Amino acid sequence: MSTENYWRVIRLAEFERPDAPASTRLQQLLQHIRSLFPKSDEVDEDEQKDDFPGYREFDVAPAVEALDEAWQEWLEESEPGVKFLISPPFSGSANIARAWAKQHGWQQLQAPQRELLSGVQVDDWWQPQATEHWLMDSLSDYWQRHTNGLAFVRTLLPKLIRGELGQGVVVCDSWSFAFLQRAWPASLPNVYCFAAANEKLLKQVGIQTNSKKLKALAARAFGNVGLALALWAVERNADHSLPSIPSDCGDETAFVLYALLLHNGLPGQQLQGVLPTLAADQLDVQLLQLQQARLIECKSEHWRITVYGYLAVRDFLKSRGYFVDAF
Amino acid sequence: METEKIIGLFKTVTSDAVIEIALVIAFSVAIIWLSQRVLPWLAEHLHGKQRLFVLALIPTTRVIVFILATIWIVPMVIETTVQNMIAILGAAGLAIGFAMKDYVSSLIAGIVAVYELPYRPGDWIEVDGTYGEVKHIGMRAVEMVTPDDTVVFVPHLKLWNNLIHNANNGGPSLMVVTDFYLSADHDAHQVKQLLEDVALTSPYVQLKQPIVVIIKEEPWGTHYRLKAYPIDPRQQFQFMTDLTARGKACLRAIDVKFANLSPEHAVPVTP
Repeated sequence: MSTENYWRVIRLAEFERPDAPASTRLQQLLQHIRSLFPKSDEVDEDEQKDDFPGYREFDVAPAVEALDEAWQEWLEESEPGVKFLISPPFSGSANIARAWAKQHGWQQLQAPQRELLSGVQVDDWWQPQATEHWLMDSLSDYWQRHTNGLAFVRTLLPKLIRGELGQGVVVCDSWSFAFLQRAWPASLPNVYCFAAANEKLLKQVGIQTNSKKLKALAARAFGNVGLALALWAVERNADHSLPSIPSDCGDETAFVLYALLLHNGLPGQQLQGVLPTLAADQLDVQLLQLQQARLIECKSEHWRITVYGYLAVRDFLKSRGYFVDAF
Repeated sequence: METEKIIGLFKTVTSDAVIEIALVIAFSVAIIWLSQRVLPWLAEHLHGKQRLFVLALIPTTRVIVFILATIWIVPMVIETTVQNMIAILGAAGLAIGFAMKDYVSSLIAGIVAVYELPYRPGDWIEVDGTYGEVKHIGMRAVEMVTPDDTVVFVPHLKLWNNLIHNANNGGPSLMVVTDFYLSADHDAHQVKQLLEDVALTSPYVQLKQPIVVIIKEEPWGTHYRLKAYPIDPRQQFQFMTDLTARGKACLRAIDVKFANLSPEHAVPVTP
């Protein structure tokens, strides 16, 4: 087994998706056309009862090493300021950052409660946990898409950039990042991400197949390691196919899916808060329908997009003209 | 003698030629009929630019098929010499000039509309005070549906001397302007920021497009115009409703008073 580390941390502007082979592009096109004309027949009952194959975690240690290598100089200087690490959904970047912070003894900050968020009480949130070195593992928890939910992050971001809160790392979901660039249009400095996974990195995380298939897998997963592992798990299990968007999806479905992606998942009550346009019963119907289609799941009262449904959801939102992430 | 001259313009049409002409007409009609059913069905499954592109193919296909069929059939029926063509066009011009001026003018405007594109299926246009979505572009008239679900037929003739207002001009971007009328005594910057956030947090808003608030002071108070784009032009009225409902709730929360127009500023309503 190769001991070389293929994880690389790069500037966000340098990110490039892996090139898709012609066969993968054709497959993606067919998938897109299929999604435009969804079948109205339901998923097989037996299949519905079975869970998807386990979406396993991967060894984060080599990725932590890559972070160390990229930020070594900054760590040694120990100057106040922040680095942003943009995390596409299911890429595992937040896990990697948590492991990295633990290794360096950096404190993981707790997200503000709803009252602090709507009251824009940044100092009240910061003071009880003030520290020199810290990790904010999900910037999505620091804002919500309603008129009272943006002021906190708008007040926080300049403080972070000016170094008023010491030295820290902010992990931001790619969908949140896309929206925040619109809500707070000043460009953020020091924005990093992991380079798109290629066939060598997929081999390193434990996907054992030939180089051609690995290349196609990397392209289908947009270079996202977590997504590639999930797609590989489904590919190896003939009993399952990836979920698709139900035939009767409309604007309301798109609102729910987009809100869940923007906030990296939300509890039902908060989802209602960001979508006041939908009546509570309408929202329940949408959630139930999407859950039955296995596009979303509810864990610890949080609704989230499933890793297996992500590609279909992204394609659905993109085809409707939504502002999608850069990955 | 005159009859002989007229007959001399035409070729002797054999039974084979009649069958060929009938087949060309039948085939052309079939293609046009199919395009008018398949393309709208396909467009209903698409969104944004893709939908508008497919819709725009409908009149284009019809004109192309019509021209090709004419080029095919005319030489089979008429001796295509310069003299003959001048004679036929002269006679046709005379007939059109007296009897069918408006009808033919509409037909020609319909062809002009296909390449000049003042409106395409899926566009939101206003002609003579009627606003609606273009559903179908026929040979003679454009069919539009108003927000109240009334079908309005507008002859292409209007193209020559009427103003055609096109709100999205073939693209998916259509600006929605939402008005707020407030009493004068308030913090304008706070209200402006609030209204921008109201648009930014609407699930209908197209985030790729700008959001702008225009403020104008009036004798009765302050007029705010919130300008933003919905993701799909068809959502414009739901978008406006969402902005109005949430905008009012947010303005109430910061204790801004709404303007009460005095009778002299009220808009007269005709029954």
